Order: sequence, then structure tokens, then C-alpha cells
Amino acid sequence: MSVVAASSNVVPASPGPAAPCAVQADKLALRLDDRTILKNVTLHLAPGTTLALLGANGAGKSTLLKVLAMLLHPTGGTLRLFGQPAGPLAGALRARLGIIAHQPMLYRDLTLTENLRFFGKLYGRSDTAARAAELLDRVGLSDRAGDLVKTLSRGMTQRVAIARALMHDPDLLLADEPFDGLDAPSVRTTENLLRGLREQGKTLIVSNHDVRQSLELADEVVVLRRGAVVLRAPAAQLTVESVLAEMTRA
Amino acid sequence: MIHALRTILLLTGKDLRIEARSRQTLGLVIVLGVLIIVVLGLGLGGETFSPPPPGDAQVAPVASAPASQPASAPATQVASAPASRAASAPAELAPTPQAGTGFAATAILWVAYLFGGVLCFEKTMAMERNDGAMAALLAAPIDHGVLFVAKLLSNLALIFVLVLVITPVAILLFNFDLSFAPWTFAGVTALSLIGFAAVGTLFAAATSSSRLAGGLLSVLIFPICLPVVVTSTKMLLSVFRDHQPLTSEGVGVLVAFDAVYLVVSWLAFERVLEP
Repeated sequence: MSVVAASSNVVPASPGPAAPCAVQADKLALRLDDRTILKNVTLHLAPGTTLALLGANGAGKSTLLKVLAMLLHPTGGTLRLFGQPAGPLAGALRARLGIIAHQPMLYRDLTLTENLRFFGKLYGRSDTAARAAELLDRVGLSDRAGDLVKTLSRGMTQRVAIARALMHDPDLLLADEPFDGLDAPSVRTTENLLRGLREQGKTLIVSNHDVRQSLELADEVVVLRRGAVVLRAPAAQLTVESVLAEMTRA
Repeated sequence: MIHALRTILLLTGKDLRIEARSRQTLGLVIVLGVLIIVVLGLGLGGETFSPPPPGDAQVAPVASAPASQPASAPATQVASAPASRAASAPAELAPTPQAGTGFAATAILWVAYLFGGVLCFEKTMAMERNDGAMAALLAAPIDHGVLFVAKLLSNLALIFVLVLVITPVAILLFNFDLSFAPWTFAGVTALSLIGFAAVGTLFAAATSSSRLAGGLLSVLIFPICLPVVVTSTKMLLSVFRDHQPLTSEGVGVLVAFDAVYLVVSWLAFERVLEP
């Protein structure tokens, strides 16, 4: 399959020479305040792959996503995205990333449309009005386009956050628990959105607590435990029980 | 370059639009500034500044006056200091012009600018921290120096509104007559506030993720901005109390501090940002 992720005890497959890996992380490490957050994380991900990132609370999923988004700089290892070295000066690379985080990353005193257009312009898009309208339609919030974000419910805000992350049509979407706080219809909408992106050939890394949902959505699964990769495998070869066992193993 | 300017306008426009809509920062800052001026002004009894008597030294916008000019003027030069107040007070309690006249007004104005400014810095950065918008900005393909310039411009815009509102209050309360050198006052104040805002923008970014943000910000900014405050206060005293022309040396000092504060803050801004 297209994903290879490995910790020190798993041998990574080498990416094909033709297309550069969307993500090529080698022995990534991160220490903060004398605490090891990530250790020896190796992750090679081919373009167009959907990867589910699983792990118990505190396993390092959000931190790994922040490192991949270049919001945190690793203290060890190397990271390349789409064949280019990632780092603080990689402005062009940033334009290819979309991020959904725990927080919505929106301005509560701006309307939905103003928020989306602002972030679209920040990424250099000129058709922000049309793109914002299209995305609000896709997340089912067209009728609230002119409302301030602070008037939305938690689930609606999360849907706008997803639209924000897609405003610039990123090639790699890093989604940290995108289903968090969503009601059942919104979960369905978001799942369909992610499937649509997958069909478009986008690369997705989605952290999630719902193992069953992850196995349905993803091509590959990586399980993190205490900052290290302890399992990687094609989703089709895994069961909920086997993943849970890896997540909770002492 | 054009892309950077466009991004700066976009970011500053966003800040000002949010402020115009919520009016949270300006509302607080203006009330705080007016309160400081009124409370301290009433407490100190109100000092007065007055235009120079006929035939006294003329105030030029910028003149190369001798740098050795004494900061506190002879009593004859402040003959128009609060006559009514001096007359009503016992002779031994009346403030001597050298000791108090004018100093209080300038100092109180600066206290209001400083505390109001700190509140501006804190609030404009909190706007980015709420709901994690700062992480979205840091993840965007924009230079972090552009972020600094945009936030500085937003802060300056808010502080200048603060100045426009609270300075007239001081004028009324202290009989602070700016009419003989209004542009001198505007120029010196603007130059001082640019340096102050640069430092404030930097430290607001550095402390915004701390639980101690507000108090910590004041503790960090005030000592660093002391040279600008002292220079500015001395220059305003020299012009409005002592009726001396503005010296190019004083302006040079302010410009130099502004340049240092701007460059250092711009360079350091990227290092203090956290998602």
C-alpha cells in the first residue's frame, strides 16, 4: 500500500522514485521541557493516501500533526513534504497544507463568509467569494453565511473550521479530531467531505478517537503510544480489537 | 513587496474590522485613559500649561537650540502658571514652578497612554489567541515579519484613537493650551508612541500565551520604554512649560529609539510566536 510508517522497530519501505512522498518524516523527535513528546517517528506517505492516526490521550497525535504542519519544529530527525525540506522558511509548502485543529482557528467577531474570505486571501486566492459560498454549501451552512461565528453552535463552528482549512484547496490536509463535537448529521457531512477529498487525490492525515470510523475512512492506520509509532498497517488488515489492544498495551 | 503590503493591509483591516464591530478594546482603553486623567488630575489639583507671554521665546517646529538649555525654566518664564490656584493656596504650600508646574500634566498623559496602550496590545493579541487563530496565521504562507508590521499598525491605530480622545480631556482639565504648538505636541507624541507600540507588540506576542499576560506585559514594557517616555516628557515640558523651541537633538533621540525598537522587535517577533 502507499503508506509506510515506522518506529525504530519497524523497517520503513522506501518511497518510489517517481513521485515524491507527500510526507517523508525520518526519525522525528521532539522534546519539550525535558519531556519526550515524540521519539523516532518515521512516516512515509504517498500522495493521495488517507492515514488514520490513532492513539490514547497524550500519545502525541496532536503534536505530530503540529510538527507536520510546521507549527512545531522537531528537535531531531528530518521532515520533507512533497519532496521539499520543511522548516520555518518553507512558505510555498505551507500553501499546500490545510489544518483542522482542536480549536476552530476562526475569528468569532467576523461572519462565516468574512472568515473564509480572509483566510482565502491570506493564501493568495482571488476567487474567495465564490469559493467561500461553495464550501459553506458543502458543509451545509449557506444560510448562516452572514452570521458572526460567535453565534454558531460548537458543531457548526467545527464545520466552518473544516471549510476554512479547505479554502485554499490544500494538497495535504492535517485534521486533528475533525469529528469532535459534531452531531450525527454533521459527522456524516464531514465524512462525505473527507471521502470527496480522497477521491480528488488529496493526501489526508486524520487523528481520531473512533477506531471503527477510522478503519472505514482510511487506507492506512498508524497507532502512536507515548510518542512512538507502535503499529502501522493497511486499514483493511486491522480490526477494532487489534487496534485497541495496541493503543492500550502497557 | 506588493504581496507583503497587501497582506499587511489584509491583516490590519481584519483587526480594525473586528474592533469596529466589537468595540471591546477601544471602549475599555478609552474609559481607562479618561479615568486615569480625571483621577490623577483631580488628585493633583490640576496643573496648567499656557502659551508663552508676548515677546517670550517663540516655539519653532524644530530648531537647533542649545542642548544645554535647562529643563526647568526660571520662574519668570512660567509667570502664567495657575494664578488662581497659587492665590488660593497658602504661600508655603503653593508649588514652585520648577518643582511641579506642567510636569504633572505631561506625566499623567503619559501614564494614560502607557496603561491604555498596554491594554490595546493585550487585547489585539488576545484576538489571535482566542480560538487558535494565531496557529492558522502561523501555518499560512506569510512572512512572520509581515504579521509584526500588521499588528503594530493595528495597535498604533487604536492608540492614536486613544490619544485623540483623552488628550482633549487633559486639555480641559489642565488648561493645557496646545494652540501655540499643536504640531509639535502631535509630532513628539507620535514619535514616542511608535517606539512604545513596537515594544508592546513584541512583548504582547511573547506573553499572550501566559496566564500572567496582562501584569507581565506592563512589567516588561514600562522599563524598556522608559527612555522614550522620559525624553518625550522632557521635550514636551521644554516646549509647553518653559516655552523653549523643540531641539533637533531631542527629536534625534526619539527617532533613534524608534529605529532600535522597531528593528529589534521586528527581528525578535518570529522567535516569540507560539501556535
